Amino acid sequence: MDVLVAEGIRKSYGAVKALNGVSLSVPRGTVYGILGPNGSGKTTLLSILLDVLSADAGSYRWFGQPGSKEQRKKIGALLETPNFYHYLSAVNNLKITMNISGRGSAEEITRVLKLVGLYERRNSRFSTYSLGMKQRLAIAAALLGSPGVLVLDEPTNGLDPVGIAEIRELIKQLQRNGHTIVIASHLLDEVEKICTHVAILKTGNVVSQGPVDEVLSDEDILELGTADLQQLKDLLLQREGITEIEISGSLLQCKAPKGSIDPAAINAWCHENGILLNHIALRKKRLEARFFELTGN
Amino acid sequence: MWKLLKTEWLKIYRYPAFWLLLAICLITYPGINYICYNIYLDITQRQSMTGQIVSLLLGNPFSFPEVWQTSAYLSSMFVIIPALLIIMLISNEYVYRTSRQNIIDGWSRYDFLLAKAIDVALITFIVTILYAIVALVVGIVHTDSQPAVDPAIPLPDMNSTEGSGSSGSIYFEKIHYIGLFALQTFSQLSLAFLLGMLVRKAFVAMGIFLFYALIAEPLSVGLLKYKFNNDIGKYFPMEVSDRIVPPPAFMSKLDEAGYQASLDAVPMHVGLTIVLIGITWMLTTIIYKKRDL
Repeated sequence: MDVLVAEGIRKSYGAVKALNGVSLSVPRGTVYGILGPNGSGKTTLLSILLDVLSADAGSYRWFGQPGSKEQRKKIGALLETPNFYHYLSAVNNLKITMNISGRGSAEEITRVLKLVGLYERRNSRFSTYSLGMKQRLAIAAALLGSPGVLVLDEPTNGLDPVGIAEIRELIKQLQRNGHTIVIASHLLDEVEKICTHVAILKTGNVVSQGPVDEVLSDEDILELGTADLQQLKDLLLQREGITEIEISGSLLQCKAPKGSIDPAAINAWCHENGILLNHIALRKKRLEARFFELTGN
Repeated sequence: MWKLLKTEWLKIYRYPAFWLLLAICLITYPGINYICYNIYLDITQRQSMTGQIVSLLLGNPFSFPEVWQTSAYLSSMFVIIPALLIIMLISNEYVYRTSRQNIIDGWSRYDFLLAKAIDVALITFIVTILYAIVALVVGIVHTDSQPAVDPAIPLPDMNSTEGSGSSGSIYFEKIHYIGLFALQTFSQLSLAFLLGMLVRKAFVAMGIFLFYALIAEPLSVGLLKYKFNNDIGKYFPMEVSDRIVPPPAFMSKLDEAGYQASLDAVPMHVGLTIVLIGITWMLTTIIYKKRDL
């Protein structure tokens, strides 16, 4: 069953169309990345799904039911920025989260603070925290009471490399334990490393969605190197199944539908035709390249 | 409801401004009573005709039961202190963006507004308790030791033993001023809340509130009344509820008819205030629901 289904969500800010009929479905137990450049509508979409903004049109369902406060209580969410009472400590801020959401307990507060590495500073005021610590507290609040669904908007914002690695590990672990996680990010690398599914958003439209492997690598690239690239190119043009050949620098790149290239066979075939290869490598299409292609940048 | 109150209390009781403003109330409420008591003594001690008439006509405004009204009026002049707190509490929610987070975490918009109304009620309650304690203490201090006719001589009252039978009823005769004070405070704090929610920036909202409550409205009410002989000012947002606690008699310059009229107008203003509170919160709800968080 899908944890979240959104259909035809539209939102405009005056003349600016932030979301242009966005539909997506998030299967249970996945890490679902919403990937898009700045201003593509990621945060607007999540804001609507969490009832902070109202959509102009469209609908969404959490756990098969229309969004409501009872649904939101079951979702741990971090939207855009860490939002806490500046004069309160981490513990007291989390007590407020606990009171409102009904998730967690005093022991839970201790557990999540230890989990995000804020336990030592649990009694310091929020206003004294660094950006990274604020972000950690926001993640702690989302994790409070171990909700089945997490919605994280740019969760690694402001974190140092160690923090980023920790959060990624945490997300993977949560997924292994059966949690469903929706992540918005403009960091390709992040999505590639932790997401199982992805939707790519471009100026308010979903341009592609599905399992990461399907969306982000729809063709394979074989890199070949030899003394005479032109000769190799002419040869390869005769071979079936290769969609595109181009010389890039000192290498030749052959593109073919995913899974259709057998490097060993090509190597043997070149050898038979009197060309000796000095380099051969099969590359999945770089996510970055795919991302630029999809978003038209 | 209980949960909302508990959550709001978590937000408030560790807020330094809350304790600061409470401390200011603790100083000003007794302070203003004390200052005005001295002014009153000054008038009556002159042994002039006026002084004697004041004493004879009105009794001691700082003894029971008059003290309930006197103290309510004096304390209510400082409604700006809790109003600042209310403005800060709502603008904090916007500045910290916690108004969003509360919704994300599982409140409905209605819950959020109800929680804020509880805030206003809670602060009203606390301020009212403070006023009541001050009035009680002031009343106890002045009731037994001072005969109504001549408060200047602090001699034990010869009639005190005789009068003690009725002192119970004297104590509580005008105790309904506690309710009036609370209603007035709630109404005016609700206005402050509406303003804070509209403007969102604490300092701007405070500036507007102070300017309006202390200068713009009193000025225009007075101007309309004395210059244009128009009493429409009594329907202005602050004035509507100001009039449910009329100034004590000794401050109305012996205009007995005017004083009586102001007392007679109280029930109407109670009604108007309740209507105004309804309008204030209705507006608040409409604006809040229309706005993106």
